[in-house]
Amino acid sequence: MNKKVWKMIAVMAILSMAIVACKPAATPTAAPVVQPTAAVVEPTKPMAGAIDCTGVTAGDEISMLYQWSGTEEAALNAILKPLVDACGIVIKPESTRDQALLDTKVQAGTPPDIAFWNVTQLIQYQDKLQPMDVLGANANNYASFFTDPGTINGKWLGLPVKADIKTIIWYSPVVFEAKGYTVPTTWDELDALVEKMVANGDVPWSMGMESGDATGWTGSDFIQDILLVQQGPKYVNDLMTGAVPYNDAGVVKAYETYGKWAMDPKYTVGGAQGTLSTGFLDAIYKVFSDPPEAMMVKQSGFAGGEVAKQYTDLVYGTDFDFFPVPGAQGLQGGADWMMAFNDTPAVRALVAYLSSELGGANWAKATFDLSPNKGANGNYVDPSLIKKGAALAETKGFTSDIGDTIPGGFGSAEWTAIVSYVNGGNLADALAAAAKVQAEALK
Amino acid sequence: MASNDSQVPAIMRQGKIAPWLYLLPALLVMTAFIVYPGLNTFLLSFRNNANTGWAGDNCVAGQTCWGIFENFHYALTSEIMLTAFLNNLKWIVFMVTGTVILGLLIAVLADRVKYEPIAKAIIFLPMAISFVGAGVIWKFMYNFGTGETQIGILNAVVVALGGKPVSWLTEPQINTFMLIIVGVWMWTGFCMTILAAAIKGVSTEILEAARVDGATEWMVFIRIMIPQILPTITVVMTTMVINVLKIFDIVYVMTGGNYGTEVIANRMYKEMYSSFNTGRAAAIAIVLILVIVPAMIFNIRRFREQESMR
Repeated sequence: MNKKVWKMIAVMAILSMAIVACKPAATPTAAPVVQPTAAVVEPTKPMAGAIDCTGVTAGDEISMLYQWSGTEEAALNAILKPLVDACGIVIKPESTRDQALLDTKVQAGTPPDIAFWNVTQLIQYQDKLQPMDVLGANANNYASFFTDPGTINGKWLGLPVKADIKTIIWYSPVVFEAKGYTVPTTWDELDALVEKMVANGDVPWSMGMESGDATGWTGSDFIQDILLVQQGPKYVNDLMTGAVPYNDAGVVKAYETYGKWAMDPKYTVGGAQGTLSTGFLDAIYKVFSDPPEAMMVKQSGFAGGEVAKQYTDLVYGTDFDFFPVPGAQGLQGGADWMMAFNDTPAVRALVAYLSSELGGANWAKATFDLSPNKGANGNYVDPSLIKKGAALAETKGFTSDIGDTIPGGFGSAEWTAIVSYVNGGNLADALAAAAKVQAEALK
Repeated sequence: MASNDSQVPAIMRQGKIAPWLYLLPALLVMTAFIVYPGLNTFLLSFRNNANTGWAGDNCVAGQTCWGIFENFHYALTSEIMLTAFLNNLKWIVFMVTGTVILGLLIAVLADRVKYEPIAKAIIFLPMAISFVGAGVIWKFMYNFGTGETQIGILNAVVVALGGKPVSWLTEPQINTFMLIIVGVWMWTGFCMTILAAAIKGVSTEILEAARVDGATEWMVFIRIMIPQILPTITVVMTTMVINVLKIFDIVYVMTGGNYGTEVIANRMYKEMYSSFNTGRAAAIAIVLILVIVPAMIFNIRRFREQESMR
């Protein structure tokens, strides 16, 4: 009896495994072409400060897909509230970090009206997106380095709504003062400062980059900043277009500059293994712990929020602050892009609102990172956003993440190169592998 | 007999059509969820990454090109896939032997203790934890701290014994084995349960006869128990091989395939969902199926033999 029961369980287990073995891959189906439902009307120029509801009937719905949740979602709702109140639009949001969901929806022919996603998706879905100028977006409110990445094959498909700058270094002003360090203004000064810290027995950097299957992105950010210092924004853009191969001498030099710090326990917390296995959030905390394990961490603007969350008694400006990577020619940053799959009056109203001066100002007031919209200038209320916003307003160039921009898995190839280099792999081989993916993606 | 037949309603007679009608629901489900996706995957493996043309479009000028088989060129010869094959081999060798030997050992030993159900339940418990949960738990166990305190238990022990902490998951020589340990921990219970059932099925008369004849416990185990349960061991082993070939969750959660721990299924996921190379992902899926099919055929054959022996 007992034997029989176990046999049956075994049979069932084996059968279920047999079924699972034939794991089906996703099956894309052709998405029907979405026809604009509204007649193309001449976009009426809305007055600054006014919300244009042309053609919208109260109760019109906009389906949205974005990666924000919690306080981020609340901030977005605050930004959209004036539009919702004025036009009676009903927002149907869905929040997920799983890009497969967006892909599945698009491939199934049921995309959301609006998606807030990465710049890569503008390229991926270029045939399915509605051009922003047709939808009535106001290009005058954006610098060209913000509209250019969103313009694919001559069509302006994406509106950058939220930006974060990456070319900054976080430090503790209190610790710097106590130890007699000063904020560097040139790359040479930074280099000298790092050596001075090492001589004093302090660890200058916290470079941990563990992040699950995205491990390495902290490193690729750092290396891109080094490229902005050593080579400039044009070189970075050439890498994105493929004009410069990823194993070019300039890239090798940047990796070596990075590797000198990232692989040595004198320069970074834990040396190479510390860099590889310390989570990127822990890496931020290590600079502000008591006593600090390191003096500086190069991390995007979001790091300030993480510090404030982790150490609630620390005050921005005295206990933690940031300075731009000295000597960087232009900023590196990430932006969330709004893209529209459907053309409806409600979508037009949303696009017009967010690209208007009022939209930019409201975004700034909501303290939801930076807004590339010029209307945001002077409207930030959070002290660190005021400083970041000023840096963004002054910058001569803005490059997005190389890995995010090149499709076809270059981002993860770039991380693989960094991880294998820091883990003791041959640099030339690692870069050659990444360059091969770059060439395949951009041919 | 003929008179009996006439009493059965026509619809219930075993004609040519009736069996198919009974099978229809199952066939429909199989077609929709196995046959169609399987065939589509096969087709996709010969298409380019956006499914707009044949795979030859993926070729880069100046490099070897396998034409329509270009996706298989990647799936079979690229460096990362070779790493994945090697790692899957390591997984098969060490996880299958590990789970089966440990499972057998525990099954035999637990057979002799008073608290057998409790002992078995404890060993079986990890099966109830999701792979992701187990991955997260073990990630903490393997944690490598750069500061004074080690929150990872393994490194805490190493440091307490006077050693230097080791970054278990990033050291290329040991990390795959660290992941395999997690797999063994999870699946030993499964092997143990099935093997324990088989051991209970060994007739006590034979065992007693051997003991009366003066056989030691070791000889009883090697000469009588093992041969008697060999068919079950084979089925368990092949089942584990199939399982291990598809290993994904542990690697995905704990290392993401970095530091040289890549496996076939994780590569498939990455190509599909982080690189959007549908064609390549489909080709890897086909390769994975082709590797698994022999193990499955063997498994089913052994299983039939075992059934016919009873």
